[in-house]
Amino acid sequence: MGFATLLGAAMRLFSICLLLGGMGLVTDVRADMYYLIVEGLGGEPRYAERFAAQAESLAHAAQRSLRGGSRVSLLNGDAASRESIVSELQRLAEVVAPDDSLVVFLIGHGTHDGNQYKFNLPGPDIDGETLAELLDGVPAGQQVVVNATSASGAILELWLSEGRTLITATKTGGERNATRFGQYWAEALSSDEADANKNGAITAQEAFNFTARKVADSYEREGTLATEHPQLIGETAGTFNVAFLENRIATTRELERLFTELDTLESGVESLRQRREEMESDVYLDELQELLLALALVQREIDEARGVE
Amino acid sequence: MKFRFTVICLWSIGSQQAAAQAFDYSADRETSLRVCDQYFYRGEKLEADRCYSGLLVNSDDAVVRAEAAWRKGDLTAANAYFRTAVELAPESPRARTRWGRLFLTTHQNSEAIKLFQEALELDGEYIPAKMGLASVAAGRFEDRARALVGEVLEADSSQIEAQLLLARMSLEDGALARAEEALTEVLRVAEEHDLPPLEVYALSASVDLLQGITESAWTERALAYNPGFGEIYATPAHFYVITRRYREAIELLFKAVHIQPDLWSAHAELGVNLLRENRVEEAQEHLSLAYQGDPYSAQIVNTLRLIDSFDNFQVLNRDLSPSNRGSMSVKSPGIILRLHNDEASVLDPYVTELVSDSIQTFSENYQFELQEPVVAELYPEHDDFAVRISGLPGIGLLGVTFGYLVAMDSPSGRGSGEFHWGTTLWHEMAHVFTLEATDHLVPRWFSEGISVFEEWSTGPRPGRHVPMHVLEAMKDDKFLPVAELDSGFIRPTYQGQIMVSYMQAGLICQHIEQKWGRRSLVALLQLYKDGSDTVEAIEQGLGVSPEEFDRDFNEFLESEFQVTLDGLDEWKEQTEAAYEALNEGDWESVIGASTTAMELNPGYVEEGNVHIMNAKAHDELDQREAAIGTLEKYWQLGGFEPRVLHQLADWLYDAGRSEDAIAVLNDVIFVAPLDESLHTKLGDWLLKNELAAPALREYQALLAMDPYDKAAAHYRLATAYVQLEDEAKTREHLLYALETAPHYREAQQLLLEILR
Repeated sequence: MGFATLLGAAMRLFSICLLLGGMGLVTDVRADMYYLIVEGLGGEPRYAERFAAQAESLAHAAQRSLRGGSRVSLLNGDAASRESIVSELQRLAEVVAPDDSLVVFLIGHGTHDGNQYKFNLPGPDIDGETLAELLDGVPAGQQVVVNATSASGAILELWLSEGRTLITATKTGGERNATRFGQYWAEALSSDEADANKNGAITAQEAFNFTARKVADSYEREGTLATEHPQLIGETAGTFNVAFLENRIATTRELERLFTELDTLESGVESLRQRREEMESDVYLDELQELLLALALVQREIDEARGVE
Repeated sequence: MKFRFTVICLWSIGSQQAAAQAFDYSADRETSLRVCDQYFYRGEKLEADRCYSGLLVNSDDAVVRAEAAWRKGDLTAANAYFRTAVELAPESPRARTRWGRLFLTTHQNSEAIKLFQEALELDGEYIPAKMGLASVAAGRFEDRARALVGEVLEADSSQIEAQLLLARMSLEDGALARAEEALTEVLRVAEEHDLPPLEVYALSASVDLLQGITESAWTERALAYNPGFGEIYATPAHFYVITRRYREAIELLFKAVHIQPDLWSAHAELGVNLLRENRVEEAQEHLSLAYQGDPYSAQIVNTLRLIDSFDNFQVLNRDLSPSNRGSMSVKSPGIILRLHNDEASVLDPYVTELVSDSIQTFSENYQFELQEPVVAELYPEHDDFAVRISGLPGIGLLGVTFGYLVAMDSPSGRGSGEFHWGTTLWHEMAHVFTLEATDHLVPRWFSEGISVFEEWSTGPRPGRHVPMHVLEAMKDDKFLPVAELDSGFIRPTYQGQIMVSYMQAGLICQHIEQKWGRRSLVALLQLYKDGSDTVEAIEQGLGVSPEEFDRDFNEFLESEFQVTLDGLDEWKEQTEAAYEALNEGDWESVIGASTTAMELNPGYVEEGNVHIMNAKAHDELDQREAAIGTLEKYWQLGGFEPRVLHQLADWLYDAGRSEDAIAVLNDVIFVAPLDESLHTKLGDWLLKNELAAPALREYQALLAMDPYDKAAAHYRLATAYVQLEDEAKTREHLLYALETAPHYREAQQLLLEILR
């Protein structure tokens, strides 16, 4: 049974467990990453369809990103109940280690009555305080929590925590209209365009930048006032990869060496960029060219070694 | 395209009201005030001030104190005294009415109207209150003003203010004889009752001016009466402004503020008109002076804020770009663009090209060489544009032309695809020529007519576009005789008449061009320049009487539209049936009904057209070729919905018709140019067709939009430069692409290739 079939059939909780294949050396932290995707109550059919598509797309992106292992949990349909969310986050609190990382996506409608945020679910809703408590209970040292619901800005302060990057679709709890954020966020995790530095990995910052821009453009295109203003708080957004467009797994010693060389050259480019203002333009471009040429050659070697076109 | 000239009138509200407090002809004005007024009207300021100060101290009448404080310029005190006066005599309409006048001075119309109405509730025949309401209505160019003035004059034909207002409205309508008649009467009454004649002089000087007499004897008489009476210049200037002769208005307004430096309304008018001439610094200076004296005017404040916001705009001086249009070599003083920083780099090449093309086309068509650079301003914030033209936000215009200066909404000023900015700019550029070729003497209808005609015949959007409600007006015989067509723009009598007048004017110009040739349009412009009115111009330029012309034009309409008009009801039925079938997903029926509708009204691609659904239905039935055919027709007829044109372009490209696909996307630029995907796609297709230069322009536009994927934009530029064999630029853009995205495979590959 393929992944898509599983998703289509589901309306229930499932976890995708992928065995570590090949057990090669890994140059990033994906093996220890967990994803939790919750698709809340759509209410009207048009929203239900939209949210389901977003959840499915995110689950695909998560699965693609974790080919090396770890877990993706999708709660949707009737399974996306308060009880299931509590239970799943409690389970994660037990299995996730401090060195692991966690990515949570909440899709759907949210409300805020001025005091309390609630995530709309089949059956009883779950409130912001309870979710904060449950998220705090997961010991993952690094977390990215994306709340794409309406009124999600209400939880900005409440859910702040050390090591957590918090992303919301709206600026405040007062932005109550159904959001477009989830749709573009899902798009970002599978988009070459979102991968601004073309390294095959999409950081939380890249995904956020892409999504925020798409959201703003969509309102501008329609000539209407934007009813959502996405927010990001957290210091690790620029380095936390939330999705991968391709694998960067070193399965041989040679590849490991090449990846190390690539990293060194990439750092060299970054360091040169920092000094750009102090340099003559021609000198800068000459030095940049030298580094980029070397980097291109190493990349070619890696691609040849891995059989990538 | 709609309501272009009403803006001029709107700006005049403030100035009229600001001046309105200068004279009080009311019969119930206190004698003690009249004594002081004599000094005031004669321009003896010190004596007047001393006299009013005395009243302020000694009078026990709160209204008198209020009036005295008002004359001394202390509006806060005047307001307080009027409040007291109303509290002390709640049954008296006088205090309320004068208090209302004070509110008019501070541009608070709604407060003023409320007080006038309260006064009329106390005394339904109280003339000063009726005149207050009439004054507000006249400032808004409302028909009600005439009715109120009529009521007052019926009750008392010697009412000076009513006569003056009547004369003013008549002048605004161009009815000089009626105005003169009213002014003769009012002068007689003023002399009989020893009332100040200065406003009579100012309006009489305006009559002279509208008759071509610029050195009026009335001016001398006014200055002899009061050497500091600035309105003797400012009032005629108003009539220059509403007839779009801004340069002449500026000259008069300079004279006005020279002899009366505290005439704030004239400073404001001067500032606004200097801005219309792109004399920004001088405009700011006079608007600032106006603000110091009249801090209550929203127009002044908004315009000053707008000028401050010019820091966010780039001023770009451009020569005419090479054009494929026309055959003659056009001399032009150049183009000045004022574009917002956020979009200047994107829009610059497209605006420059379109303005260049229009100059080339219109210079040839109208045998007129521009004498000054054309200034084109595009505002991304619609309210900024509205303030630019009227001083107030919230006006439903798209573009306006003040001679050599064109201001309009930028494509980003409205929702994507909401308006065809290319057509708007083309329309406005035609105004530049008709205004300047006639020294701004062209009547409104003819200037609009030529602009609309040029939209249809030479503009970037093909086809003649007549909205449905205009067709209905045509069917209902609502078109005006040519000699009266201006009134359809100035004082419309039914909803939508302004647009009907635009279209009628355009059709008239098309008719003239078809029957008498384009040269006759040029001849008419010359006649207007020489001072002819429409009747004379038609008679001399076309050799027929206006009545004969109207009969001829009706025949033209019949030949062009009768079939469409006869089929209008059936077209509506078929269109409705097509929409119903669309809702039911009955594609065969959609095709049937929409095809019939298209046959009945083939050129109709405006809102509610059936082409789009016809194409969709064909596509749903896997008839892609037919779908393409319908959308191609839609595009060729001037349909411009960007989403639809993108679809057509994609289909054409998929069908191997890349050149046509490119042509379609090139047209999307005139509707929705601020779209990254448009420039990406168009650039890619151009490059594939080995058209590197235009591809480069698209990629430059893409990069100027600060795209999220900058690396890809730089890479695309590099690929265009490869085709142009510019190695240095190729390398530069590849390095910029890889600087952002060091792992960018395609860029790496190309870098390795060029450096091999």
